[in-house]
This record gives sequence, structure tokens and C-alpha cells, in this order.
Amino acid sequence: MSGLEEDRVKLDAVVVGGGPAGLMAGLKLAEAGAEVAVIERGVHPGSKNVSGLLYGGFLDKVIPRFWERAPLERPVTRRSLFYIGPEGELGMIMGPAHWQKPPYNRTYVVFRSKFDRWLAGEFEKAGGSLIDSAVVESLVIEGHGEEKRVKGVNIRNDEPFFADIVILADGAAGVVSAKAIEDLNLKRGSLPQTYGLGVKEIIGLPRGKIEDRFNLESGQGVAADYVGAPFSGMIGGGFIYTGWEALAVGFVVKIETLAKKRVKPYEVMDAFKANPAVRKYLEGGELLEYSAHIVPEGGGDAVPRLAAPGLLIAGDAAGLVDVSLYHEGANLAMASGAMAGEVAAAAIKKGDFGIEALGKYEKRLEESFVMKDLSKYRKTPEALDILSSMIEILPGRICNLLAEYFSQEVEPKELIQKKARRDFWKGLPKMKLMRALLALRKVL
Amino acid sequence: MQGSGIFELKIEDRLYVNKLETDQKFSHIQLDEEKCRECQSKICLTICPANVYTMAPGQPDRVIASYENCLECGACRVACPGKGLRWSYPNGGMGIRYRFG
Repeated sequence: MSGLEEDRVKLDAVVVGGGPAGLMAGLKLAEAGAEVAVIERGVHPGSKNVSGLLYGGFLDKVIPRFWERAPLERPVTRRSLFYIGPEGELGMIMGPAHWQKPPYNRTYVVFRSKFDRWLAGEFEKAGGSLIDSAVVESLVIEGHGEEKRVKGVNIRNDEPFFADIVILADGAAGVVSAKAIEDLNLKRGSLPQTYGLGVKEIIGLPRGKIEDRFNLESGQGVAADYVGAPFSGMIGGGFIYTGWEALAVGFVVKIETLAKKRVKPYEVMDAFKANPAVRKYLEGGELLEYSAHIVPEGGGDAVPRLAAPGLLIAGDAAGLVDVSLYHEGANLAMASGAMAGEVAAAAIKKGDFGIEALGKYEKRLEESFVMKDLSKYRKTPEALDILSSMIEILPGRICNLLAEYFSQEVEPKELIQKKARRDFWKGLPKMKLMRALLALRKVL
Repeated sequence: MQGSGIFELKIEDRLYVNKLETDQKFSHIQLDEEKCRECQSKICLTICPANVYTMAPGQPDRVIASYENCLECGACRVACPGKGLRWSYPNGGMGIRYRFG
């Protein structure tokens, strides 16, 4: 150790980014008695963050009965998936009995600006320090080649922060983690990361109107997903989530497909909102906010190495998003953050920050639902490519099939049904359909 | 913005409702004029949800960035095929400040 190094002020751990991953890492470190700071570039945690639903299964284990204290919007007591197209609507609705009462399957609509701020409060209560409005530019890396070791973070227009361990949780658009993956050679040599773009409008409506329109009892809520015409030629879909007095309306589409179609994101938004199946819910509402954010969609094969000497990476910055049917992001962020925090706390106790000690984080992720789910759904990104081409054809065909089946022509049913089936199969690309059905298994 | 207003929003109307602290002294988006001029795709013009990137009026092929409208979503940075775009963060506490998020 150089004399200079002994003189500088040093924390046990520094966490970059005050979102679900970073705050959970910080919380675990603070609970273990470590000196830890979470550095957030926004004026408060959540002020830069965008998302829709909170799956609180993991959060409940760390903060029991969080739903009694956290600033949540409506619980999701009903979910639906609709195809919306020129032929009409086709959909599924579900609302199992136990979703209707607390803790509502631990699934809630959230506004992240409020939720993340609350989580930051829990972190501070545990003894952690929150530093807001500070921008981490890059890592402090010492040594060369195999000997490289992370020693802290460089802060814009300020002195660097030194720490025995740095946890990067700077999110999907994380500039620091992107640079760290390059500088520390953490790419795995598998697939490059790919991204979706999420765009959302918050539309204010009176509480009673939301409950009337969605046919909800007081205190119930809906998460409605949509695929079909507004997203034609792209991979992705739309959503409406009900808040107490506002709707979150938006979509996520793969950036490449948006680029290929040469359509502006807000034009996709216009098309989605103008669809009669969607429009009826929004009438008379008031725009309160317009937000956007990228989402990593490359799945398990795009996850880089997540540990290096003195460094761990968690959450969206690590690409830990499940793009299957479940669409889980914040849940995996909190779980990975907690594991990073626990491994870091153990490393601090032993005073060992080498790759052997910190590599335990990757191992724990592999053994947990986080990487098990990402592995199970490894093929989901490519399956979605195949499926989305079938979404252009199949649901519309089914709409027409049903319309013909229930036709009121005065003909024997046998004849009506035969014609309906013939029309259904006419010109349908059967090989493509088979491939899509096989691909569907990789998403469910 | 009552009635059918929310179905006929311009991008300006959308950005207007957001809370944003503009940093007059620092642009977190830097474009390399030459590289961007030569860029064939100019994909930033399409994918930015806030229309930050536009063609400079009267200057063929020149892309300009209105950084003060940026939602910090990250789309331009991951989609830019060239090396003309340098996207860092706004200074601490500046830029978009979501009230809902």
C-alpha cells in the first residue's frame, strides 16, 4: 500500500445508482454494519426511473409486509392480454379469487419516482448514506492487465470516492457499467445486449371514473397488455396499468424494429391510444407526464461477467431482465442487488476483495431464480422474433373464424362451420405457424 | 388539455407537462459534426422519443441535438451505429425529474 492510499478517506462500499438494485445492495450492506454510500445522480432516487408493475415476491422477504407501508398504486387484481386489430379484439382475462385480497399476489402498479424514494428511506433507516445529485463518471481502476482492481469511483466536479468494493447498479442506460464492461474485459463473448424502448404517458382521471371504466370495485386494479395493429411490423406491445387516480399507458418495442419501420415512438403511442379498444378508457383524461426508458432484452445470453476484483454489477446494468411472458425487471434487480450486498458484506468482513471472494455473487445468482429464469428463457428473444410475425396473422384469423362460426346466416351449422374452417386455413403459412407454436413454448 | 386533447398531442405538448431542470451551461450530448454528417442511418432522428435530434435548417446532412428536451432514456446511445454521438449524464440534479416515473 502506498502512503497516499493510506491517507485517503475510504468507505467499505460505494453503490452507483439509487434504483431497486442499488438500494437493495445498500440496505444489505448497511444491515451488516458496513459503511456504505449510495450515489444517485438524480435529485432524489426514482427521479430518473420509469417502470410499470412491481412484482414484490422478493421484496416481501427483505421488507416483510412492504405493501402496508410502501407508496403503491392499485394492486393488480385482474390481468388481461388482448389482440387489437382491424378484425376486432380477442383476449384473455384472469382474476383468481386470492388476487382480490391482501397481499394481492404481491403485484402492484407503482410510480417509481415515489417507490424508489421510499426504498431509499428504508436504506437510510438501516444506517446507509444517500448522496443525491452526484454524477459518477467512471471507476477508479488501479493496476494493469490481470492485476486491475477497482478502488472507487470518480465523481464529476468533485473528489473521487474510494471504497473496498464498488457495486454498479446504474441501470439499463448505465454509462459507468458500459465503460466498466469494456475496460475490465467483462464481455462473455456470447450475445451482445439488445434493447427495447419503453414509452409511457401518465393520464390523470378521477378515481371513480377509473373504477367505472374498468369495472373495478373500490381498491382493485388492472394490468392490461396489448399486441396487434398499433405495433405491426415491430416486436413488442402496449399496456394500460391503473393507478389510484391516473392510468399508465404505453408500450415497449424492440429498438431495432422501431428503427427499421422508421416510425417515431410517439407516433406508435398515438396509434395505440387511438385504437377504439384503448381510446374508450382514456377519454377526457389529462396528460400528467411523458416518459421513456430503454430495457435490456437480450436475456441470459447477453449477461456479462458480473464480478471483478473490487467490483460487482447488479440489476438492469447487468442485463438481468426476464423478457418472457412474465416481464420481470425490478424484482430481479432487487434480488441481484441483495445478493451483491450480501456477498460484498462477507468480503468486507474477511477483507478479501479478489475475484475468488466476489465471484461467489455470480455463483449465487446462478443458483437462484434470477439466473435460473434467465437460463430457462434463454431462447425467448429469438422466439419473440418468430412469434411476432404470427401475431400479425393468427389472432386476426381467429377473430374471423369466430365471427363466421357465430354467423346468423340461415344455413345448416355444418356448412357454416366448414366454410369458417376453410377460410381460416386458406393461405395460412403452416410451417411458420408450426415454428411459432414451438417458439411459444420458449416464452411461456 | 381536456376532451379529445390527449389524442392529438404534439411532441411539444408532451414535453411541456414534464418537470425538467435545464442546465444552461452544460450539454450532456455531444455530436461529432463530421461523423454525423457522414452517417448513413441517422437513426437518432427516428428513435428519440423526445425529438432531441433534428436536421439543422438549411444545412444539408447536419444533425443537431436539443439536449434540453432529453428524457435520458438511453435509446440514442445504444442505437447509434457510428461513433459520432457522445452521451454522458446531465450534471447532478439536472435534467428530467419524473414525478411519477
